[in-house]
Amino acid sequence: MSTHATAAAPPSLVPVFVRLKLTLLRNGLRQSTGRTVAYVVSAVFGLLFTAGVVLGLVALRGTAHAGALTVILTALLTLGWAVMPLFFPSGDETLDPTRLVMLPLRPRPLIGALLATSLVGVGPLGTLAVVTGAVVAVADGTAAALVGVLAVVLVVLVCVALARAVATASVRLLTSRRGRDLAVLGGLFVALGFQGINIVAQRLGGPDGLSVLEPLGGVLRWVPPAAALGAVDDVGHGAYGRAAAGLALTALALGLLLWWWQRTLTTLMTAPDSSTLQAVEKDSARRAGGEERGLARLLPGGRTGTVMLRTLRYAWRDPKSKMSWAMSLGFGLLVPILYAAQGNGSIYTSFSASALLGLQMYNQFGQDTSAFWMVASTIATPRDAFEELRARALTLALVAVPYVTLVVVGTAAFIGPWSDFFQVYGLSLGLLGGLFATGAMASALFPYSIPSDGNKSVAPGQAGIAWISLFGGFLVASVLASPLLALTVWLHVAGLQSLLWVLLPVGAAYALGIATLGLKLAAPRVAARLPEILAAVSKG
Amino acid sequence: MASEPVEKQEQDGSSATPGGAVTGPPAVRIEGLWKRFGEQTAVHGIDLTLPAGHFIGLVGPNGAGKTTTLSMVTGLLRPDSGLVEIGGHDVWRDPVAVKSRIGVLPEGLRLFERLSGRELLAYIGRLRGLPGAEVDKRAAQLLDVLDLAGSQHKLVVDYSTGMRKKIGLAAALLHNPEILFLDEPFEGVDPVSAQTIRGVLERYTSSGATVIFSSHVMELVESLCDWVAVMAAGRIRAQGPLAEVRGEAPSLQDAFLGLVGARGRAAGQNLDWLGGGAR
Repeated sequence: MSTHATAAAPPSLVPVFVRLKLTLLRNGLRQSTGRTVAYVVSAVFGLLFTAGVVLGLVALRGTAHAGALTVILTALLTLGWAVMPLFFPSGDETLDPTRLVMLPLRPRPLIGALLATSLVGVGPLGTLAVVTGAVVAVADGTAAALVGVLAVVLVVLVCVALARAVATASVRLLTSRRGRDLAVLGGLFVALGFQGINIVAQRLGGPDGLSVLEPLGGVLRWVPPAAALGAVDDVGHGAYGRAAAGLALTALALGLLLWWWQRTLTTLMTAPDSSTLQAVEKDSARRAGGEERGLARLLPGGRTGTVMLRTLRYAWRDPKSKMSWAMSLGFGLLVPILYAAQGNGSIYTSFSASALLGLQMYNQFGQDTSAFWMVASTIATPRDAFEELRARALTLALVAVPYVTLVVVGTAAFIGPWSDFFQVYGLSLGLLGGLFATGAMASALFPYSIPSDGNKSVAPGQAGIAWISLFGGFLVASVLASPLLALTVWLHVAGLQSLLWVLLPVGAAYALGIATLGLKLAAPRVAARLPEILAAVSKG
Repeated sequence: MASEPVEKQEQDGSSATPGGAVTGPPAVRIEGLWKRFGEQTAVHGIDLTLPAGHFIGLVGPNGAGKTTTLSMVTGLLRPDSGLVEIGGHDVWRDPVAVKSRIGVLPEGLRLFERLSGRELLAYIGRLRGLPGAEVDKRAAQLLDVLDLAGSQHKLVVDYSTGMRKKIGLAAALLHNPEILFLDEPFEGVDPVSAQTIRGVLERYTSSGATVIFSSHVMELVESLCDWVAVMAAGRIRAQGPLAEVRGEAPSLQDAFLGLVGARGRAAGQNLDWLGGGAR
């Protein structure tokens, strides 16, 4: 095999690169069976989902708004391809051209080879299927079908070239520390975007909802590569001029993309690396002044205050911590708002705030990554472990208690009724306390690694532990809160509604007690399992 | 070199070494230490006694089990079986006595990198229960001596390898431990930083403290240490004062290659095409 490579004429790069991609894919799967299973499962689900979309598109054939819908779908698909490399920079090693810098390769053959490599994979296959489905939905007649084949090829090529070009243009940013931090936070936008799509989808589900799409489709119809889909539609209606213009626009876009990609690739491979530029940077003179010392002075002394200060700094500076805080705070508030927007508002939706913030107590040491050894080397007794856990719980409570209060008061004021305020507030605090208790216990018994790069929040092979500890812990915490629930029900049944306010102090005291008990039980387990915890959180 | 391979007797760990005046308990005593990772045995039932007050090098090729051994000795990794005592205290039964006496700079584990160098020292010092004012005083001096004062407010995540090693060393020294464990402290460190680290370590041992560090750079170990233990394939091949382990070999490097059985394994004649020029 290798003897061919030494032949005098330089062989085509395409088979070499395609083989490299397949090898990387295969080796990635070989690393662990868990990974293989995850890949197969996600591939099967992806294909099933794609099949569903394709079937849906084919079923749309001949309906009134099929044209607009396919154009919008293509535009969305393209947008997905454009942003994907920003959020999953480490997803594809062949995507990083800086790895090829030392090889004597000319830009033009390199571009061709990279483009061919990009066409290998589940993503391009799914795109091909969806676009084909879209063409089937709108193609009317033989001429339209022929144009459709051309459109499919153009759209897939534009999508792939766009992803590659964006990846190349942003590789400088993404290989710098700040860029990677931003990429991690990008997951937040994806999550929030899904909520937006959710709302839009519900709007479209209404009677004649699809007609909303027409104006948008009319605009996107001239934006490549959606313009190619518009062209297929136009040929069916005999508008050959518009069709030719749409196809030409898409082809032009493809040419421009390839040109831009080649240009950035050349610049990238002949300019200094970002790590070199970073090392030259001077001391950033982080505000070492009074502000932090002022905050530090408010915290208690000893281990408690030290750990709290570090945890608070991490919540702001560490992108993973920041994202998980933002998720909890954002969704804790979003759930009541979303339900209210759908007309299903209830004061009980405010439980989301304490549920989501309480879950922050889980996998405390996984958030430390392998730096946990610094904590482990200073924990000698169960007392040390208790102080460590208590400091982390206090930091969490510092944010969670005011936040839960705010959300419960807010839902009571805007959704109501105020008569349920005390019981909801008391139960919320009880749930929070229960989650602190089970979270401390899960942190001791089921720690797992959080990879610091990319969007993953669990290291490969540890997803099972993560889900079991989260769901199991949530169930146990609900059981722990059940005495409060029983008291609430009893007060209602016994007709003692005037005494419902009791639930607030009882809930607060119960939360404090149960959380302290949980920390006390977890502390000796943490102290006894330090090496095991360190091993479990060092896999990222 | 075609000198005779010097046979080295494996020393029994418990006997007193001629190099050090044995007054108190040894710095580290290891008996029958085992660690397996799945099929692979990383540490193969080693016995080792390291005297206090010395600059001790643990040398061995990559994969010899140095990091695994140091992790088990410092309480970061649980052994499958065996005994580890530091200053006469069992590491696993008496962590209170051990953890305050040792400083550790592990290899391959992170620091809290989203803190600045100064914040990291303030954090670890207070975590070790030192008074805040004392921590800040010591941190300022350490940052100064280790040439990190100019980058003390930069996040550790933006530090270079040499700077990371230096801030890790500062964190390990902050509570003035009796015994310092350093895993590859000079790996990837530039010569200037290496010299700084050396200076600090020499000052530290001159007052009677013990440094135990692992390395595969023999010249470095030979110039720094007065006591060495040679490790290969999970076993201790030799231990004792430097001169004794080196024996008649011209350098520690030669003695080491003889001990691990790697001498004479020259680049074969299969590479006859190598040498630049024609492709």
